[in-house]
Amino acid sequence: MIKDLVIIGGGAAGLAAALSANDPKIDILVIERERELGGILNQCIHNGFGLHVFKEELTGPEYSARYMDEFMNLNIEFLLNTTVVDVKKNDDFELTVSSFDQGLFKIQSKAVILSTGCYERTRGSITLPGERPKGIMPAGSAQRYLNIDGYLVGKSVFILGSGDIGLIMARRMTLEGAKVLGVAEIMPYSNGLTRNIVQCLHDYDIPLYLSHTVTDIKGKDRLEQITIQEVDQNFNPIENTQKVFDVDTLLLSVGLIPDISLFDSLEFIKDPMTKSAIVNQYYETNVQGLFVCGNALHVHDLVDYVSIESEKAGKSAQNYILNLNSKTKSNNVHEIKYNEKIRYVVPQLIDFQSINAPIDFSFRVTKKMEKAIFTVIQNNQVIYTKKAKHLAPAEMEKITVKPEMLIDQSQISILLEEVLT
Amino acid sequence: MRDMICIACPIGCHLHIDDNLKVTGNLCKKGEKYAIEEMTHPTRILTTTVKTNNKDTPRLSIKSRNPLPKELLFHALQILDSIIIKNNVKIGDIIVKDILNTGIDMVATKNVAMKSLTKE
Amino acid sequence: MYDYIIIGAGIVGTNIARKLSQYNVSVLVLEKENDAANHQTTANSAIIHSGHDPKENTLKAKFCVEGNTLYEQMEKELQIPLLKTGAFVVAHNHDEELMLKDLYERAIRNGVTQIEFLNKEQASSLEPNLADSITQVLSLPSTKVTYPWEVAFACLENAIENGADFKKNSEVTSIKKNQDVFEIEINNNEIILAKSVISAAGIFSDQVAYLLEKNVPYQIFPRKGEYFVLDRKVKGLINHVLYPLPTKVGKGVLIIPQVHGNILLGPTSTLQDEKELASNTKVGLDQIKRDVKAIAKNIPFNLVIRTFAGIRASSSFEDFYIQESKEYTNFFHVAGIDSPGLTAAPAIAEYLVDHILNHQLIKKENYNPLRTKKPTFYNLDFEKQQELLKENPRYGNLVCKCEKITEAEIIDAINGPLGNDTIKGIKKRARAGSGLCQGGYCEEMILKIIARETNQSLDQINYYGLNTPILAKETKVKL
Repeated sequence: MIKDLVIIGGGAAGLAAALSANDPKIDILVIERERELGGILNQCIHNGFGLHVFKEELTGPEYSARYMDEFMNLNIEFLLNTTVVDVKKNDDFELTVSSFDQGLFKIQSKAVILSTGCYERTRGSITLPGERPKGIMPAGSAQRYLNIDGYLVGKSVFILGSGDIGLIMARRMTLEGAKVLGVAEIMPYSNGLTRNIVQCLHDYDIPLYLSHTVTDIKGKDRLEQITIQEVDQNFNPIENTQKVFDVDTLLLSVGLIPDISLFDSLEFIKDPMTKSAIVNQYYETNVQGLFVCGNALHVHDLVDYVSIESEKAGKSAQNYILNLNSKTKSNNVHEIKYNEKIRYVVPQLIDFQSINAPIDFSFRVTKKMEKAIFTVIQNNQVIYTKKAKHLAPAEMEKITVKPEMLIDQSQISILLEEVLT
Repeated sequence: MRDMICIACPIGCHLHIDDNLKVTGNLCKKGEKYAIEEMTHPTRILTTTVKTNNKDTPRLSIKSRNPLPKELLFHALQILDSIIIKNNVKIGDIIVKDILNTGIDMVATKNVAMKSLTKE
Repeated sequence: MYDYIIIGAGIVGTNIARKLSQYNVSVLVLEKENDAANHQTTANSAIIHSGHDPKENTLKAKFCVEGNTLYEQMEKELQIPLLKTGAFVVAHNHDEELMLKDLYERAIRNGVTQIEFLNKEQASSLEPNLADSITQVLSLPSTKVTYPWEVAFACLENAIENGADFKKNSEVTSIKKNQDVFEIEINNNEIILAKSVISAAGIFSDQVAYLLEKNVPYQIFPRKGEYFVLDRKVKGLINHVLYPLPTKVGKGVLIIPQVHGNILLGPTSTLQDEKELASNTKVGLDQIKRDVKAIAKNIPFNLVIRTFAGIRASSSFEDFYIQESKEYTNFFHVAGIDSPGLTAAPAIAEYLVDHILNHQLIKKENYNPLRTKKPTFYNLDFEKQQELLKENPRYGNLVCKCEKITEAEIIDAINGPLGNDTIKGIKKRARAGSGLCQGGYCEEMILKIIARETNQSLDQINYYGLNTPILAKETKVKL
């Protein structure tokens, strides 16, 4: 099979990228491993999606349907229940693909968009101590079992991690009949939206233990009990602060990681902060023709931003394919510099060869700041400043650099400073 | 009287409302309105699932079209527990009309075809 | 009535079962858990040691060296994985180099034939990530690494193929001898009769022996060892099994490349009272992190996917205790099998049957030593994959994407004489769920496959033991 563009992953990112890459001259294939398109949105039955893109508040499946309806109308080709098993690159990409219906076969493609989303951090990767009974699982797995399959994974629950997924599951499990005894968060503040603290925890009198983590797990075959302890500023447990809970379930909401292992063999350059590829403003990696967008590129908190970003990636892939013959390797690529108050910036690179559109830089800050100022500097000159309020590590921010702001083709720095009143 | 965190905007003012419904701690009118509503007539959008008789898609996601009175949520869930979806559903289809006499409908949030899609 | 009942389906019990199944005798293996191969067999370093470490003139030393050779034959007959890594024991200074010399001499006396010293440069060229502080290593090329529970499964499958029986979920609750017959009670319920009983009950050896004997000649001291598991992305980082110098409590914290590419770091060694409390501790895991620095550099702790702990059956006897009971004839102890138990297991089985039983056993004419292993799809070449797909399209359904395991392999793991219908049982057999996401993606799919294949509902599927269902309750169901 030969295609112009293969999009791996038919969730929010893949669908948005497909819609914008769509062109009568381009043969596109979307490959999805689940039995339906939509990705993780299918199990996110709660509200809060679409405020930016649609100016409405939608549930996950409703948001996804907006893109799916248009996708189906455009008759873009897609495969369900199909997994990409391997990727090689010579000039073109060679993907090895597998499904029950079609067996194992190869697809050749000029370009690939990687929109595979992310996976949840596990108990092992945060080295939670204690025994290893059943009943400990990532919050997203429990969400899938409940919302898609219709099963509660436990009846008395404790949740580690106060990010939105943990908070949402605290409410969801309670509504379906489980008892949620508490949420522990290792940081001194919650990562989740205030609305979720109120409507998922306060509403149901579920206590939130800030600066606490799980320090022991008891149960040989089935989880019986967990112990949490307060931690100091170095996240070390403080003696004599143990609190014990008799639970049969411990849900973990301790972080998401871009799901890109499939592409390790292509050796694209990674950003240790995002744990994914380094890309330029076209969302292209150092591997020509390989584009990454959505949670596979960096973990988002709003699906709206996933869609906006993926539309750009799709457009870039389209341009790439349509101009393949005239593409020359750019030698004017610069890394974005940023200071220690910024955790990471995406895209990490600017290709100055042809900037004709504004560049949205997405980034996360390293600590909460009530008031702050951004300064964008090029060639020792300030080319843009922007005030910002209520910055938090859990909330992705954007700053847009327009082509007319640039004074030359030299490196850009983004500096963030807190304004203390 | 009660203490609460306002959720009308990202600032998250810490509000205090007394028994005479006097609000303090708010930086704007939205906060005042939120506190009074939370004290007198708190409402919530309910998002949940209902059972279907389709083996491949055993649950359908639904929501209340508008916020329901908070005190009715668990009763509403009890009613929803006995629903079984048998036909094709489109987003917006009414699953339960005027639930608990609130005038608010529970509507589907997903398009589902009951025909089985998988071969096993 | 059985000729032999073996109590315990660990690496030792299953090897004994295989050996006995060569003879015209009836054999029953009893296992208290919901699967074969649990406890020590699933929580060790997976090393087939050379034999440099055990004290001279002990059964441990003898059977370690013999077992090391026997594994090569088992590899051919049972198709078990056997990674020929070799090993380095490392020294950091002159005093340690003297200790290496002692180890060398002990190894020679134990019968180790492949052994040599390497200097820093030689060692580093073979093992680039060796710690810079290392000055000399003792090289043991005969050290290998296997996949311990697969060895136990293979032995038991082969034993069953040759006529042995296996009963899981069968805890021995009483043992009586009535004239020449043993009455073995399981689960306080059923009684099974046997002419001879072989106890290979691991950590519970003394407890089981006390069901019969008044004075059990050893005591089991549970000794916990904790480990880190690194994702198989680290394959190639370390090529040899790396040992520090041994101490009184054991071999120390090692670095052990595994057959599928993972690396194990550990174990620690802590005495405890409880026989089954295999919990990980911050103290233990921190110790491993510190200790491995003295052996290797560039260990990527960000690729830790799992930690685990095992409880060794250390015994007061200080050597393997393989003897007939002094109180009752035809009751045989195979106890205190801690390290090098995995390596020694086949040699222990030979010794027990050939030298200790003293029964006139007649070899079966049609004994088949071979066990064929079902294919791992993604280890095959493209053409062979296409062939398999024609026979069975379920090879096309990728379930565990981290370790590349297909639906067909999962179904193989469910079916068969040693099939299993639990999530962990499937993981032990097919590796599905052993990778980076630790089942976060595939557990749900595996649950559905097991339910379909065994005609159960989703909430009946267990994690491991009976009554450990992954799903607690179906929602919205009227009771």
